[in-house]
Amino acid sequence: MRNNSFFYFLTLNLLKEKRRFVGIVLISTLLIFLLSSVLFISSSIKHTLNQTLIAQPDFIVQNIKGGRVSPIKDEQVDKIVDIFGVKKVTKRVYGRYFFDDKYSALIIGVDFLDEQSNKKLAKIMDSVDLKSFLSKDNMLVGQGVLNYLKSHYYTSNYNFLTPSGQMQKVNIFKALNVKSSLLSNDIIVMPLELAQKVLGLKENELTDIALNVPNDSEWANIKAKLESLNFSTRVVTKKDMKKAYENLFNYKGGLFLVLYLIVIATFSLLLYLRYSLASSLERKEIAILRAVGWSIKDVLKLKFLENIFLVIFAFVLGSSLAYIYVFILGAPLLKDIFLGGANLKQFTTFTPVVDYSVLSTIFIVFAVAFLGSVLIPVWKIAVTEPKEAL
Amino acid sequence: MVKIENLNKFYEIDGQKQYVLNAINLNIQKGECVILKGVSGSGKTTLLSIIAGLDKPSSGKVLVDGEPISKLPDMHLSSFRAQKIGIVFQNFNLLDGVSLADNAMVPLIASGIGLKEAKLKAQDALKLANIDHKANKTPIELSGGEKQRGAIARALVANPNLILCDEPTANLDRANSLSFIQTLKELHNMGKTIIVATHDSLFEELDFEHRVVEISQGSLVGRG
Repeated sequence: MRNNSFFYFLTLNLLKEKRRFVGIVLISTLLIFLLSSVLFISSSIKHTLNQTLIAQPDFIVQNIKGGRVSPIKDEQVDKIVDIFGVKKVTKRVYGRYFFDDKYSALIIGVDFLDEQSNKKLAKIMDSVDLKSFLSKDNMLVGQGVLNYLKSHYYTSNYNFLTPSGQMQKVNIFKALNVKSSLLSNDIIVMPLELAQKVLGLKENELTDIALNVPNDSEWANIKAKLESLNFSTRVVTKKDMKKAYENLFNYKGGLFLVLYLIVIATFSLLLYLRYSLASSLERKEIAILRAVGWSIKDVLKLKFLENIFLVIFAFVLGSSLAYIYVFILGAPLLKDIFLGGANLKQFTTFTPVVDYSVLSTIFIVFAVAFLGSVLIPVWKIAVTEPKEAL
Repeated sequence: MVKIENLNKFYEIDGQKQYVLNAINLNIQKGECVILKGVSGSGKTTLLSIIAGLDKPSSGKVLVDGEPISKLPDMHLSSFRAQKIGIVFQNFNLLDGVSLADNAMVPLIASGIGLKEAKLKAQDALKLANIDHKANKTPIELSGGEKQRGAIARALVANPNLILCDEPTANLDRANSLSFIQTLKELHNMGKTIIVATHDSLFEELDFEHRVVEISQGSLVGRG
């Protein structure tokens, strides 16, 4: 390789300036680490929520009374089934149960005899022996709930206090699958009738009704028909839910992105100033190279390669550390900011999802800012007549 | 080898032209050794810088080996300088933190020469400058005389025909200065064209063929 003397000199230069470069690499690595961590968390959450949405019904029908959601009569189910184009109509009973001021869990009542419900819950319920589960008042609990109950010495059952003031004893049958902890961490799954008792609903009352409409060009029509069933009916679509999720997490991710872009801009400005005010020694070095026969292009090539090496090194190191921090260590500190975690204390892992397009955008933005802030001042020095610095 | 015609270098201060070099005409033949003599501030370093292409004249023509050096574009000029001109500076101007051998290699690197060949040429140049025994030392570990020899090695590494020396003995003691003059004699015997800008009296009576050109307040005093 004819140009290997150039790379030899590049290596010499990097080693010669290692003290200065270590500082720059450390700050760059920290920036990339923070930015990539935020990116990894938001990508992972988005992925998990999208997965959740896939399993969600297309429509949810609720009853509004006095401006707030109230139980819906199960007779509505028959009316909905009659609408042409509607499939998989499911009765749903759920509600948040507050164990104390700080800790609550989501109770989900499931009609285990309804095959469709079983399919939807199959992922998080794994292998549950339905026969023995339904033989008594049993419940399946998320890891967070299980740990909460254990910490309060409820190892085999718990007495729920119903709205009517009565105690309802329910056995802890099994903990839910840990892999889907973001979804199942704070939920309690129990038979529909039992959930109605715990949540204070009458036998013919449901929290809401879920349904699917396979032909999505009919969604607007079906929505209108559902809303016309009763003046108090409220219809929520899957698109509405997706928008609500995105609003919540995109806002946090976007906020962080803006903050870090500001930090990168500041860092670039500092680098620019640092090279603009380069010491007479550095100016002299560039002048020496020019005086002994290096062209402006050669000097810029040396500085470009020197700094692109630093950028790549910092990027690979920063993003690798971010991957370990988020997907292996569970992103302590940042996790709480994103998920707000009182109810998610036992949440441990994010699903490893890397958005390469955003990652490469970060690299390009960072590399351009970094190289620009170094090379512009170097170019200014290099084009000056060497005599002035010698 | 070097032909200078009506060369001027001036700076405009408050609309007034301050001449550093004024109507310089000079011809230097191939293999000649020219001593540019003058007091500090007389303009000899500026003249040397213009001949080396490190500075640009305000007007006039400078031909080095037939090339109008002040008119060449950067790429061409750099390549020309790397191959045809060796410069020895007053302050040596070696790169800190880099060994003498690597310093000597620097002019060859930009020309895309292979590492092995560059190292061999650097070693030869260090031998020629009689400093090969300090090849692995960095400038901070060397005396003034040794640094000067390192700078000579770097100037010679590409085997240029023209050697320019700017106050080469200003930072050397008498013994090292005499040793440097001896090296100049050897280079002269090798047929190199040498231009030395100096005010050191040691250059007044050299024991080899040379021409002294005196410069005063930007103008040549003696024969051009």
